[in-house]
Amino acid sequence: MVKGTTSKMGKMYLVLVFLLLYIPIVFLIIYSFNQGTTMDKFTGWSMVHYQELFSDKRLLAIFLNTILIALLSSVFSTFVGTMGALLVDNAKRRRTKETYLYLNSILLVSPDVIIGASFLIFFTALGLPLGFWSVLLSHIAFEIPIVVLMVLPRLNEMSSSMVNAARDLGASNWQTMSQIVIPFIQPGIIAGFFMAITYSLDDFAVTFFVTGNGFTTLSVEIYSRARQGISLEINALSGIMFIFSLILVTVYYFIENRSQGKRKVMEA
Amino acid sequence: MTKQLKALFYTPYFVWLGLFVIAPVGLIVYYSFFNINHQLTLANYQTFFGSGTYLIMTANSVLYAFLITLIALLISYPMAYYISKLKHRDFWILLVILPTWINLLLKAYAFIGLLSQDGLVNKCFELFGFGPQQILFTNTSFILVAAYIEIPFMILPIYNSLTDISSSYIRASHDLGATTWQTIQKIIIPMTLPGVKSGVQIVFIPSLSLFMLSRLIGGNKVITLGTAVEEHFLTTMNWGMGSTIGVVLIISMVVVMALTNTKKKRRQTIW
Amino acid sequence: MEKPIIELQHVYKKYDDQYALKDISFKLNEGEFYTLLGPSGCGKTTILRSIAGFTEVTSGKVFFDGKEINNLPANKRKLNTVFQDYALFPNMNVYENVAFGLVVAGVAKEEIKDRVHNALKMVQLEKYVDREISELSGGQQQRIAIARAIINEPKVLLLDEPLSALDAKLRKDMQYELRDLQQRLGITFLFVTHDQEEALAMSDKIFVMNQGQILQQGTPVDIYDEPINHFVADFIGESNIIKGKMIKDYLISFLGHEFECADAGMQPNEPVEVVIRPEDLVITSSQKGKLQVKVDTQLFRGDYYEIVAVDDQGNEWLIHSTNPTKDDAMVGLTFGPSDMHVMRYNESESKFNNRLGTYED
Repeated sequence: MVKGTTSKMGKMYLVLVFLLLYIPIVFLIIYSFNQGTTMDKFTGWSMVHYQELFSDKRLLAIFLNTILIALLSSVFSTFVGTMGALLVDNAKRRRTKETYLYLNSILLVSPDVIIGASFLIFFTALGLPLGFWSVLLSHIAFEIPIVVLMVLPRLNEMSSSMVNAARDLGASNWQTMSQIVIPFIQPGIIAGFFMAITYSLDDFAVTFFVTGNGFTTLSVEIYSRARQGISLEINALSGIMFIFSLILVTVYYFIENRSQGKRKVMEA
Repeated sequence: MTKQLKALFYTPYFVWLGLFVIAPVGLIVYYSFFNINHQLTLANYQTFFGSGTYLIMTANSVLYAFLITLIALLISYPMAYYISKLKHRDFWILLVILPTWINLLLKAYAFIGLLSQDGLVNKCFELFGFGPQQILFTNTSFILVAAYIEIPFMILPIYNSLTDISSSYIRASHDLGATTWQTIQKIIIPMTLPGVKSGVQIVFIPSLSLFMLSRLIGGNKVITLGTAVEEHFLTTMNWGMGSTIGVVLIISMVVVMALTNTKKKRRQTIW
Repeated sequence: MEKPIIELQHVYKKYDDQYALKDISFKLNEGEFYTLLGPSGCGKTTILRSIAGFTEVTSGKVFFDGKEINNLPANKRKLNTVFQDYALFPNMNVYENVAFGLVVAGVAKEEIKDRVHNALKMVQLEKYVDREISELSGGQQQRIAIARAIINEPKVLLLDEPLSALDAKLRKDMQYELRDLQQRLGITFLFVTHDQEEALAMSDKIFVMNQGQILQQGTPVDIYDEPINHFVADFIGESNIIKGKMIKDYLISFLGHEFECADAGMQPNEPVEVVIRPEDLVITSSQKGKLQVKVDTQLFRGDYYEIVAVDDQGNEWLIHSTNPTKDDAMVGLTFGPSDMHVMRYNESESKFNNRLGTYED
C-alpha cells in the first residue's frame, strides 16, 4: 500500500472509529475515580474505589489466582506447544503435517462454550474435582495450539541447511537442538508465551464452565458482579488491569523489537 | 536422538491432542445421545429438530452472528484501509490491538454503564431532544456491543492483507489510468479477500456463542445457541441436550470454515 | 591405481514415485577438484546430500575412505559441507560459527582459538573474528562458511552451489580463491554447480548430469571439445548442432555438402549430429566459404562480436568473430576438419570412450 496518502475524510473516519474504540475504556477508567457510586453522574475525583479494591482481600486473592493460572499455564503450554511445533515441522509427508495442523486448530476455532462444555464433561468423566487444577489444565489445553502457531513460522523460516550444517560439523541431536534450533525460534517461543498469557487472562467462558464453587478467576468474578449491577470497584479493577496490559505490551514489544532489530540488520 | 527418545519428546503434545482435542469432541458427541436420566436415546435430536423453539433459536443465532459480522466488517474495512495508508501505521494498528488486551467482561461492563437509563448515551440522546430510551437489554444493544468487541479482530487480518499488497500494484493501476475508486474496486478489494475471509471466520464463529454478552447486555431476552448450551450445562444440568446443541454448533462451525476456507487461524495476527 | 576417498556404487534415490538418482557410480581421488554439473533438478545436490548424510540412498553403496557409510549419521561423517545459503548460525558471531565444529567435539579452548585463527587466515578474514554474521557482506559470509567447514580438517569438502548468490565479479574472484584454497589444503573438493563456465574454470574433472544420471565425465577440455551428445554439447558452452550423416570414416555430409572430418568408428551412412563451436567458425567471402549464410543480427560483446546468421535451409548459425560484418550481408563460413565434432545418437559413455580410443592419440 502507498503510505502517507490518507484523505481528509479518511482521517475523520479514523478519528471517529478510534473514539468509538476507546470511549468505553476511558469512560470505565474515569469513573473509577468517581466519588459517587454510579456510572451515571460524576460527582468528583477520588481514590475511594481503589482503596476499596486494595482492602478487598477476596478480590486480591482472585487477582493473584488469575495471575498464577496465567503464568503457570503459559509456561506449560509454551513447552508443550514448542514441542508440538517441532513435531509438525518435522512431519515428512505433507498429509501428516496437514492432519496435525488441522487437529491443532480445532481448539482455536471452536466456540468457547463448546470448549468449556466439553472440558466440563471430560473432567467429570475423569472424576477430577472442579477447581484450581481443572482450570489450570483447561488453560494449558487451549493455549497450546496458539503457541504452536506462533512458533511454526520461525521454524519454517529456518532453512533446513542450518540444521544440516550443525550435523555436518559434528553436533549431536541435542547440541543441534539446544544451540541452533531453540535460539533461532526463540522469538516465536516468546511470542507464543505472551499470547498464551493473554489468552489465559482474557478467557471467561471456558473457566466459567470448569471452575467449581471454590475457585474463581477475575473474569468470572467480574461477570458475577456485573450481573448484580454497577460497582465502581470493578472500574478501579479495570484501571489496574489496563495498566497491567500496557506493561505487558511494552515488555513484549521491547523484546520483539530487540530480536527484530538484529534480523533487520542481517537483511540489509 | 534415538527413535524412543524422539517419541518421548513428542509425548506431551500427543497426550494433549488425545486428551484435550479428540476426547472432548468425542465425549460431547457421545453425551448428545443421552437424556437427562442417562439413557441412550435420540430424543435430544428429536427435540432439537422437532420443536420450533430450537430451530428459531438457531436461526436467531445465525442471524445475530451474521449481523455482528456484517457491522464489524463494514466498519473495519475502511478502518484497515485508512490505517494501512498512514505514515506510522505500525503504531496505529497497535492502538487497534490495545483494546483487545482489556478483558472482554470489562468492556461489556463498561457498556452496562454507558447504555443504562441514565447513562452517557441516553444523555446524548437528550441533547438531541429524544427522551431516554431503553437501550440496555435489547437485541440491538447486544448486536452493537458484540460488533464493538469484534471490530479489532476484523481489522487485523484485513490490515495484514492490505499491507501485503505491494505499492507497485497500486501505482501500476493508477499509471494505467484507473481512478482511486476503480483501484479500490478492481485491485485492492479482490487482493484483500483472503483477509476478509479470515476476519469473517474469526468473528462469526465466536459470535454464535457469546453467552456472557447476551446475559449482560441482552438481558435474558437474547437467547442464542451459546446461552442455551450454558443453561443446559450449568443451570438445568441437562448435559445431553446441551451436548446436542453443542454438536449443532460444531457442525455449523465446520460449515463456516468450509465456506471461508482460507487459513484456519484465529486471533493470532494480534502481534 | 590410487585409493579413492569417495566411491559411489550403483546409487539410486527414489522420492515418492520418481527417481532422483539412477545408477550413479563414480570414484573421487584424494586432492582433486571435482564438479557435478547439470541443470537444476538433475540430482547433483542429491548426490551431495547422500555423501554428506542428509539423505539416505534408496539402494547402492556410498564409501568413504574405503568404508561403507550408508548408515553413518551426518554428524559422524568426516567430511564437511559449504551450503548454498551458507547456513551460518545467526545467533552466533564469526568466531562462534567457525569454532562450532570444535566446540561440539569438545576441543580445548586454547586449541580452538588457534585453529579458528588459522581457518580465518585461510580465507583472509582474520580481522573479522568478532563480527556478527549480519554485519558481513555476501562474499564475506561465503568465506566464513568455508572457514567453518574446513575447521575440522575434513578430507573432503562438499560445496553446494556456494557461489550462486554472489554477483558476477565476486563470483569470478571466488573461483580463483576456491581453486587456490583447494590446492593449498590438498583435499578433495566436490563442487556442485549449474554454471558451466564455473565448472570449466575450476575443475580437474567434471561430471555432467541430467535427469538423475551422469552423462559424461572427463576433464574440462575433453568435455568441451568432445561432448558425448546433444545435451552435453548444448549445456557446455555455446554450440551449433546440425543433423548430418556419416558417409564413412573421416567423411561426413550435412546441409547437402560433404566435408572431411576427424571422427571415425561409426556405421557407414549412420545418422549423426555435428557440433561446431561458434569460435571455430571463420567468416570469409561468400565464394570462399564452405557454407553460405545471411547475417541476421550482430551484438558487440566486448572482446568479440556475436553474430547470428541463417543458412538457406533456415538453420541459425552462431558465430564469434573479432571483426564486425554487415547486417543482411551474404557471407561464407569456413571451418577445418578438427573444428567439427561428430556425435552418435544414444551412445553410452563407455562405448563413446572406446570409440574415441580407437583413433585418437
